[in-house]
Amino acid sequence: MGRGFSLKQEEFFSSRWALIIATLGIAVGTGNIWRFSRVVAQNGGGSFLIPWVIFLLIWSVPLIIAEFAIGKSTRMGPVGALAKTAGNRFGWMGAWIVFVSTAIMFYYSVVTGWCIRYFISAASGNLFNTNEHLTYWNEFSSGYEPLLFHFIAIFFAALVILRGVTKGIEKTTKLMMPSLLIILLILFVRAVTLPNAIDGIKYFFTPDIDVILDYKVWLNALTQNAWDTGAGWGLILAYAIYMKKKEDISLNAALIGFGNNSVSLLAGITIFSTVFALSSADLSAGQAGVMQQISQSGPANTGLTFIYLPLLFTKLSESNFINTLFASGFFLALFFAAFTSLISMVELATRTMIDFGYGRQRAIVLIALLGFILGIPSALDLRFLVNQDWVWGVGLILSGAFISFSIIKYGVDKFRTEVINGYGSDVKIGKWYNFAIGILVPIQVIVLISWWLVSSIGWDTEWWNPFHAENFGTVIFQWTIVLSIFIMVNKFLVKTALNNNKVEGV
Amino acid sequence: MSLITIVTMLIVAGIVWGGLLFFLRKAFKYEKIKQKNGEE
Repeated sequence: MGRGFSLKQEEFFSSRWALIIATLGIAVGTGNIWRFSRVVAQNGGGSFLIPWVIFLLIWSVPLIIAEFAIGKSTRMGPVGALAKTAGNRFGWMGAWIVFVSTAIMFYYSVVTGWCIRYFISAASGNLFNTNEHLTYWNEFSSGYEPLLFHFIAIFFAALVILRGVTKGIEKTTKLMMPSLLIILLILFVRAVTLPNAIDGIKYFFTPDIDVILDYKVWLNALTQNAWDTGAGWGLILAYAIYMKKKEDISLNAALIGFGNNSVSLLAGITIFSTVFALSSADLSAGQAGVMQQISQSGPANTGLTFIYLPLLFTKLSESNFINTLFASGFFLALFFAAFTSLISMVELATRTMIDFGYGRQRAIVLIALLGFILGIPSALDLRFLVNQDWVWGVGLILSGAFISFSIIKYGVDKFRTEVINGYGSDVKIGKWYNFAIGILVPIQVIVLISWWLVSSIGWDTEWWNPFHAENFGTVIFQWTIVLSIFIMVNKFLVKTALNNNKVEGV
Repeated sequence: MSLITIVTMLIVAGIVWGGLLFFLRKAFKYEKIKQKNGEE
């Protein structure tokens, strides 16, 4: 790769640590904090953690390595990058990757807006003026406020991207990621020192042999890795475009994977300790009642974070000031996690537009405008958000498949020795990688997509109906439209992306 | 706390947090070498 092409490269991440912090910002999102705890509770606590660790090694890390390597070597967004790696006939796969992450950006900006609103509510004390947190949430989510906060989120994300890689992405993530970790550590220490917190920790780490043998627990663990590490989304690929040639790939990728899951573990222990400690006094049903509170999804899976935790924060201490401090700290951390992921989605879409000949400024304005307009349905109607989350959440697994396919097409061993272990690599990775990316990842994709789609047939009697929120029909309908268009215009996409990245005289 | 809970905790936290610390140490080591060699 790379022959005949050169970089239209003006900016790089200033150091290895800047790159790692920014990329960790992609990986650590709301999924680490609110989805992880809910899924652990739904899948038998400790029984879930063992497959979750295994899939970190055989899904997340190999795909993060692949994304770093493709981005660094091609210096292009996914359309051009996959065309160069897999061949010109497969540029549409890159377009799919960009489309899926951008479609997620539309509603993720809405979710980021919720975090801003709840942070403001917690910091102002407004969140504690009610005991009816479900009503509070329903009143907020059914009104026009989510639209305003969606606008604020996408506006500031675009502003960060407008300032560029070093002054925008790097500065923002250098501020937000350490702050997020410090807040999480403070919350962690407080949570594990609460009376009865040990019950939560016990549940969190105790495996049940019957549950661990359930194949659904394994598939949920794989799904959690696929959705919360950012592996296979194309976002890491977009940041890798800006890594210096001397930067390593495999060690940095391992740091992102393990760093991401470390944050999940920290957040999980914190939430389980808090919930067990503060709700045990209220719930006559004992452990089962507590587990029900953690695992219940609520509207658009918001139950634990936006409905139950605010209630628990009011019971943290007698002091309103301390409760306010911890609640606002939690929602600020959640906002930092969401925002640092949102900016990477805006960057991916922007970078793709740049590959298609747009100036950076024009591309950002267009993406922000599009992001705001196409996020409106999700801001105003939770059913629409749930539909998009379902359709493109499963779509992400296909994105991972396309990345793996492009490497198989290029030659797995050649890719490993020439690209991953090439110039700048600190650690040379062995032949295990050929097996992981060439065989294990494709098997996991096939199993996971089949499982989700077959399961979705059972959720809905009209499983074929493309206009229902969560079923088989809506996925196939929306995927078919998007894939057909990209396959039809593949020649144009590839030609434009590659031509715009050619530099005269190279 | 039962033995199986402690073992699971050690395995999970050991691999995830231990792994993170292991890779961080390696990254610091290689970064130092690169800086010594004046690589840009």
